[in-house]
Amino acid sequence: MSQKNITTPLFFIVPAVILITIFVIYPILHTLLLSFLSPSGKFVGLRNYFDVLGSKEIINLDRFTSTYPPWGALIHNAVWIAIHLPSSILLGLFFAIILKDVKGASIIKSIVFLGMVMPMIIGGLMAVFLFDKDIGIVNVFLRFIGLRSLANLSWTYWPETALLATILTGIWMWAGFSMIVYSAALATIPREYYEAAEIDGASSLQKFIYITLPLLKAPTQIVVVMSVLYELKIFDIIFAATMGGPGEASTVLALLMYIEGFVAFNFNRAAVLAALLTLLTLPPAIWIAKTAVKRK
Amino acid sequence: MEGKILAVSKEAKTLIAVVAIICLLAGFGIAWVFKPAPPVKPRLTVIGPWGGAERELFVPVLDAFAVETGIEVDYRMYRAEDLATILPAQFEAKKTPGDVIFMWAWWIRNNTDHILDVSDVITSADFMPGTVDQVTVDDKIYGAPYTGKVKPGFWYRISFFKEHNLEVPTTWEEFETLLDTINDTLGIVPIASGDGVGWPLSDVTEHFLLTFGGVDLFKGLINGSVSWTSDEVKAIFRDNLVPLLEAGYFSEPKDWTLILEDWWEGKHALYFMGSWITGMVANASDLGLFSLPGAEAFVFAPDFMFIPKYTEYSYEAKELVKFLSGVKGQTVQVKQGGHIGTNLEVKLDDYPAVDKRVAEILEGATAVTDLDDTVGGDFQTTFWGQLKYLWVHPEEWEGVLANIEAKAP
Repeated sequence: MSQKNITTPLFFIVPAVILITIFVIYPILHTLLLSFLSPSGKFVGLRNYFDVLGSKEIINLDRFTSTYPPWGALIHNAVWIAIHLPSSILLGLFFAIILKDVKGASIIKSIVFLGMVMPMIIGGLMAVFLFDKDIGIVNVFLRFIGLRSLANLSWTYWPETALLATILTGIWMWAGFSMIVYSAALATIPREYYEAAEIDGASSLQKFIYITLPLLKAPTQIVVVMSVLYELKIFDIIFAATMGGPGEASTVLALLMYIEGFVAFNFNRAAVLAALLTLLTLPPAIWIAKTAVKRK
Repeated sequence: MEGKILAVSKEAKTLIAVVAIICLLAGFGIAWVFKPAPPVKPRLTVIGPWGGAERELFVPVLDAFAVETGIEVDYRMYRAEDLATILPAQFEAKKTPGDVIFMWAWWIRNNTDHILDVSDVITSADFMPGTVDQVTVDDKIYGAPYTGKVKPGFWYRISFFKEHNLEVPTTWEEFETLLDTINDTLGIVPIASGDGVGWPLSDVTEHFLLTFGGVDLFKGLINGSVSWTSDEVKAIFRDNLVPLLEAGYFSEPKDWTLILEDWWEGKHALYFMGSWITGMVANASDLGLFSLPGAEAFVFAPDFMFIPKYTEYSYEAKELVKFLSGVKGQTVQVKQGGHIGTNLEVKLDDYPAVDKRVAEILEGATAVTDLDDTVGGDFQTTFWGQLKYLWVHPEEWEGVLANIEAKAP
């Protein structure tokens, strides 16, 4: 490559590299460095990691046999993924399919999408009221269908239900994302595929299984990765609804990182949690990047 | 030729006139741009934790300061928990969101690098003994006490007690009987449990600790010389607090302002809350109050303010601190109700009747600082969270105490 050929791409790349170095790479490296230091600045190797990973706040082995939390922030994040991921995807897909080709669907979609537009912190505050035993709409509904034992609890105040209340709020707020992605994907499937299948005598279910689902693979990958990242770094809803309580029954890694950093002012332990969160979010991020490259 | 010259001369005159007008306008423009700016009138920003009704009671104090000094003040509300995350970054950048900020005493003590020394405007002897010590580091005073709040005991509506022939208890047994009566006869949960981030539950717990454990135990829990899993503390939970929780005498926690309305409407008979409640109800003269029988010490929590080093108006900010901590400012505040003065010159006659009763309770009793506010940090978050857990699962009280001890000093 000639001198001129190198200069031109450099001219465009260097500003971005400088900005990324200052605002992304340096903070990451500094956080990593902090995670290996004691509060007094002494190098302590992996001691902070052992301390944090061995603490009850991360994995509470004493309560593993208990039927309700606290089980530790890492387990709570796993519970978030286990419940929130399939629920929000299926709910979004459900809305996208039933609202396809429906007159006025855009209004209903807008209402579903409101959860995405609303700040998560507001959603968290609303969760307290949604699940209140006296005025909560969820509890009114539960009472209506006869589930009185659940209806008579303010969910965010009980360890049995606090985590679930925040997850359900998260599903409500996040379902709009998968609905919009699936709606866009459904609109790109050529109508001819369905017409050909109809000529061959395919039922609605067969059309869905053999045409729609395979063609939704790529958007599903996007939705899965984005949802997992959201679930791993979930913070706002829990901060506002329960502050991780009662008794750490709904705490998650990001909230724990906040408490270590800005309540206990232990930036080294907070850095360990940040590194742990980064490690957990890397696999899905790398997977989606690889998939995108392969698709190109 | 002559005519042409004349014509040219006319054009020249027009040109000169246009240029002159432009120059004149430009001159005015330059003069306007470069005119000396009028002196900027200092306008202070005060950040405090009070919103809603409490804010309405505080704003008149700032108005009184503006009238006296001519310095305008804006008020912004931030919870101390939020300030704890906002201020470190602001201070590192040598900036401040406010000129006078209300904050926890422990936080002020830990951040003196960013705080102005106010020893020149605050005299320790003017305040309740020990108050200024809480914000003093190396003989320098970094904060100023404002008014304080007492957590004196259980509030009830006099009309409610009269209507149902209920008596104020004078012994623990009478207290238990009262709760039994309210629960069985009236069919309501006797005590309303307020919740915010958790502090209302910590207030009532501290009242139990002080009443049945005494001041030494209480101070020991603050400085770490007494364990939360010690026999004395366990006994208080096992014999006094937990049985009431297990009997269902405390309600499920609910936002403290919402449950205040429930209690006022008669859905509960008693509400443990700080003295600020007197400014939050429709008819303060209907308020009655009793402490746990045998209580000889109470939590008195003064509000503290400080001036960040990075304020542009340090002189005016000190004037405001002087006013708010002084007898004038505190008198305006206590007259509004819900506050107890820390300045010794505030007169008992200046209190509304109901606050006068609270102020009288303090006379002869020992005042101690709020336990979780004094310790602070992640102990406070854990303490609040664990008490919320205790309230719904009292049978796990020993585990709760062990978890609190794990974060205790």
